[in-house]
Amino acid sequence: MSDTPVVQMLGISKIYPNGIPANQDVNFSVNKGEIHALVGENGAGKSTLMKILFGFEKPTSGTILIDGEEVTFASPMAAIAKGIGMVHQHFMLVPSLTVAENVVLGMAPKKSGMFIDFKEAVRLTEEYAERFHFDVEPNARVADISVGMKQKVEILKALVRGAKVLILDEPTAVLTTQETVELFRQLHELKNQGFTIIFISHKLNEIKELTDRVTIMRRGKAAGTYDTDAVSEQEISRLMVGRDVVLEIEKTPAEPEEVVLRVENLHFVNEWNKRMLNGISFDVRKGEIVGIAGVEGNGQRELVDILFGLISPEKGSVQVNGVNIADKSQRELRNMGVSYVPEDRMTFGIAGTASINENIVSDRIASPAFNKGPLLNMRAIRETSQHLIEDYAILCKSGRQHVNMLSGGNIQKVVVAREFSADPLLIIADQPTRGIDVGATELIRNKLIDLSREGAAVLLVSADLNEVMELSDSLIVLYGGNIVGYFDDGQWDDVMMGEYMLGLKKQSDEEVKRACHA
Amino acid sequence: MLKQLAEWVFQVEFLFVILRITAPILFAALAAVVAEKAAMSNIGLEGTMMLSALFGFLFAYWTQSWLLGVLGAVIVGTLLALMMGFFYLEFKTDIILAGIAVNMLGEGGAIFLLFMFTGLRGNTAILVTPNILIPTIDIPLIKDIPFLGKILSGHCILTYIAFLLVWLIWLLLYRTPLGLNIRAVGESPQAASSVGVSVKRIKYIAIAMSGALAGLGGAFMSMYYSQGWNQGMVAGRGFIALAAQAMGRGEPVGAMLTSLLFGTAHGLSSKVAGLPNVSSFLVSMIPYAVTIMGLFIYAWNRTRKLKKRGIRRLTGV
Amino acid sequence: MLDRRMTQFNILRGAVAIFFALLVAAIFIFLTSESPWESLRYLLIGPLVIVKDGAIAFNTRNMLEVLAGMTPTIFTGLAVCVMFSANQFNLAGEGCVYVGAFVGGLIGVYWNLPPFIHPLVATLIAGIVCSVIMLIPALAKVKLGASEMVTSLMLNYVMLYVSMHFLNFYFADRSRGATMTHSFQDTARVTQIVSGTSKLSWGFIAALIFSVIVWFFMYRTRWGYSIRMIGINQSFALYSGMNVAGMIIVSQMIGGMLSGMGGSFEILGRYNQFLWLNLPGYGWTGITIAILAKNNPAAVPLAAFFLAYLNKGCMLMSTKTHVASEMIDIIQAAIFLFFAAEQFLSGYRQKIVVKTAREELLMQGNADIENGGAENA
Repeated sequence: MSDTPVVQMLGISKIYPNGIPANQDVNFSVNKGEIHALVGENGAGKSTLMKILFGFEKPTSGTILIDGEEVTFASPMAAIAKGIGMVHQHFMLVPSLTVAENVVLGMAPKKSGMFIDFKEAVRLTEEYAERFHFDVEPNARVADISVGMKQKVEILKALVRGAKVLILDEPTAVLTTQETVELFRQLHELKNQGFTIIFISHKLNEIKELTDRVTIMRRGKAAGTYDTDAVSEQEISRLMVGRDVVLEIEKTPAEPEEVVLRVENLHFVNEWNKRMLNGISFDVRKGEIVGIAGVEGNGQRELVDILFGLISPEKGSVQVNGVNIADKSQRELRNMGVSYVPEDRMTFGIAGTASINENIVSDRIASPAFNKGPLLNMRAIRETSQHLIEDYAILCKSGRQHVNMLSGGNIQKVVVAREFSADPLLIIADQPTRGIDVGATELIRNKLIDLSREGAAVLLVSADLNEVMELSDSLIVLYGGNIVGYFDDGQWDDVMMGEYMLGLKKQSDEEVKRACHA
Repeated sequence: MLKQLAEWVFQVEFLFVILRITAPILFAALAAVVAEKAAMSNIGLEGTMMLSALFGFLFAYWTQSWLLGVLGAVIVGTLLALMMGFFYLEFKTDIILAGIAVNMLGEGGAIFLLFMFTGLRGNTAILVTPNILIPTIDIPLIKDIPFLGKILSGHCILTYIAFLLVWLIWLLLYRTPLGLNIRAVGESPQAASSVGVSVKRIKYIAIAMSGALAGLGGAFMSMYYSQGWNQGMVAGRGFIALAAQAMGRGEPVGAMLTSLLFGTAHGLSSKVAGLPNVSSFLVSMIPYAVTIMGLFIYAWNRTRKLKKRGIRRLTGV
Repeated sequence: MLDRRMTQFNILRGAVAIFFALLVAAIFIFLTSESPWESLRYLLIGPLVIVKDGAIAFNTRNMLEVLAGMTPTIFTGLAVCVMFSANQFNLAGEGCVYVGAFVGGLIGVYWNLPPFIHPLVATLIAGIVCSVIMLIPALAKVKLGASEMVTSLMLNYVMLYVSMHFLNFYFADRSRGATMTHSFQDTARVTQIVSGTSKLSWGFIAALIFSVIVWFFMYRTRWGYSIRMIGINQSFALYSGMNVAGMIIVSQMIGGMLSGMGGSFEILGRYNQFLWLNLPGYGWTGITIAILAKNNPAAVPLAAFFLAYLNKGCMLMSTKTHVASEMIDIIQAAIFLFFAAEQFLSGYRQKIVVKTAREELLMQGNADIENGGAENA
């Protein structure tokens, strides 16, 4: 290891066009040949910092040094030229192109001066795949290959371009256990060959297992860099959030009543003919929170989309209060008393350039309370909005402010305030606290419990294991489109959940059937 | 009357005419294909064709050379497209609005510029001499083949180029690094830029090529088809090309087939117009009505396939 | 603080955009005109003042003509506002103006109704016919997923040729040299507000009234609200339980209605017969107006005035100094490009944002940004 750090970022600040500061005066340094963890809560500014290092975003101020030499990265191209490679959380692959075409994109080998040499592209891909023991099929279309394989293609892309420093942005979030194990093996091998790896994660066990040093980020600032061996997981987590990770949530025992949501034998096959749901059945009763746990990509997305009428199931039915919701429009679903906190709040949850007032009443704009004859009752809208802004502690200048000027947590509060105040019989909460600050998270979780205790049926889908374990009265684990576990005794812990979520354990059919309450 | 139509369709002269009528639509349709592959809807094709038709003709007149005229048309088409690209890529003007702006230029701006450069109003009929029109060529061997020879030989040079370009554009898109980049940028710009492909640069190149192709279409119109520039000359061909692109699934060969369909509709409408007791106005409407019908059938087919896969569209229907 | 600075910035940006557009015009004037300063004077202040023997006087006649010229474009501008607000790039306003004028004109010729009622009925029916025509692109969009833009562009030609067919074969006044209908009945004329040659009719007042009505519709009714939300984020509107398909159709029908009414008021207010043999271009001007007004109906009359003023200026420039009046299209295109440019002067915008954010951070103190939001990483 040489003395000069291979990457140094000094005094980096980044303010986004909506005025939100994502990084504030961050210092970050990585030594050659190490695996360096970058940790922090969702939204702590890790991804922004790495996007700056990779030339995707320009810092508002600060300097970057590579091998001690000051650089400015106007584009990823400049970063690539300096040996920086990045594997993004959401894969940067072109689905309709083959693996080899993706690998050589932007540097395609030529023959007779102007045409792509496809043979050479395949050869190059195979050469690198062999050198690093990556198992990929160069001629397969990217749309057809598995998630694990896509990630390998991403890493290959960086290596083929001569990357010496590899940034991996939450690489294990989408992987199965085996795939994660294999990834770690490959990362170790890369390290042994002299590559430097920056590993972004918020999974503390992975960081302990894999990395040499760790830099912790908190609310846009660097909270310190440590040798991984020298800090405990508890210390890291305390530095990450500034208080204990586990939020103590007070919860009275549920007193479930009649069934509100009944899902029966649901099947779904996606457009690439992958079976995403394989006959799942369960009930959610009035007054209880049913949690769905599972590694992302095991059917949760499809389940929620079917529940909200975005896609139709191949087979099976969904009933709300005994009424089949097949072919029901979103409006009809809402009229039946279904509320929905969407995972992708920017796409489904809000209209960015409309005001908070306008966003907060979007589901009930036609109600008599907000209309006087043909005209809207602006005063009633304003008052309702003001009331909800206070009730949900939405931090804003006024109800007339555009929603997209708010921070992520406050945007989510706007969504939740609307959905929770609609007098719902059934709430489908899909990743309700993803990527938002602790304060907002706490508020949303408490509201969710209050609503269920007041008589709403709640279906909580979350990739945050702590969240589902804390909030749920009973818990369903999805794996590979099947329900592999149902728990209603409150006696669960993360080790046990992990085994089910990763497909190591599976309950018997009889045990799973308990999820349906006659 | 149907029998009459069927007879025409298989007449040598008529098939010859169809190729001639198709060529300008094909240029514009290919222009739409290239732009759309890079995820840009070039609605400015209409105006681009108008202005490049005008300047193609004027350059030819000034230099007394049809070749320099064609070159001028291509350059003007490219510059207009680059202007659209500049506003779209640098200032984030909506590409459709930028296209409408170019169409406004093509509408009144062309008349203004014609007046500014020549003092003429509305058309260039008095400037036309045979040497500044694009020549036709007979192709040896092919012209002697019975039936086919009379359809395929004796066209204007640009007609051949139009059909040759179908193949060239396909080669470009699917066999060259630039084409790979264009497709990647259109489908997944983030993926392209993550490997250092400059999305902006590729989009500039694609829109410029689109403009150059529309420029050829413009040159064809003023320097061959209409034998001189006039105000109502392009008559929505730029818009029809957008439809041809969509119905041709955005592929060069598909766009050629749909362009031929519209060319046939055009051809038939001018044939029918010659019949007694037929309203020339209703006949003029045929190509546009056919385009609408074609679009609807294409869209209906696509929606049906989506529905089969269980995907409900976001209009909630 | 940021909101106020952004408002100021947006006003500045609009002004700079218009300045650039006029600069482009000036360049062309200097290229073509023999007396460029005089041309420029006619363009910029010609409609407003008259210079006679060194004395400057308000040019009432020209200003009345400018106002009269706004009538159809306010309607088409409003139509585009409604359709673009719903993110429907329907460009068939142009054809609807034509059909509206034709239908309104025919009712003006052939029906017998009392004065005042007559033009209103004619205009109303013209509007209804056009809104029904707009069902074609609207239904195709909603039911088939066909692009309303391409359909509407084709539809413009279909509307033109079908109307021309009926005009030529059924309704033409054969006693005339040119193709036109018989003269409108006196009862059908939209009455002039001011006597004289300006042709400023009550259609202008109707246009202003409709600006107010459309504003109320867009900002004070649940339907307008839905239309705007669909335009901002269609997925969100659908998810919120709005009738997205229905409102997409309604927005385009309203667009057709307003365009058709504009055509009818125009023909019955300023002409004696229907004699248009080509699309009049008001539909496209309406798009420019909607862009200038940022889709806000309340700003449409102002934007329409601005364009009508420039148009009159171009006319004056053309007759007095021989610069072709089609200059207006070049100016419009330039306004279009600069005004619709979201990132125009974005560097300056970003500086304002950064400055404001810094100041606010300082005020809050670095320790507590609990809810200030660093979570957008």
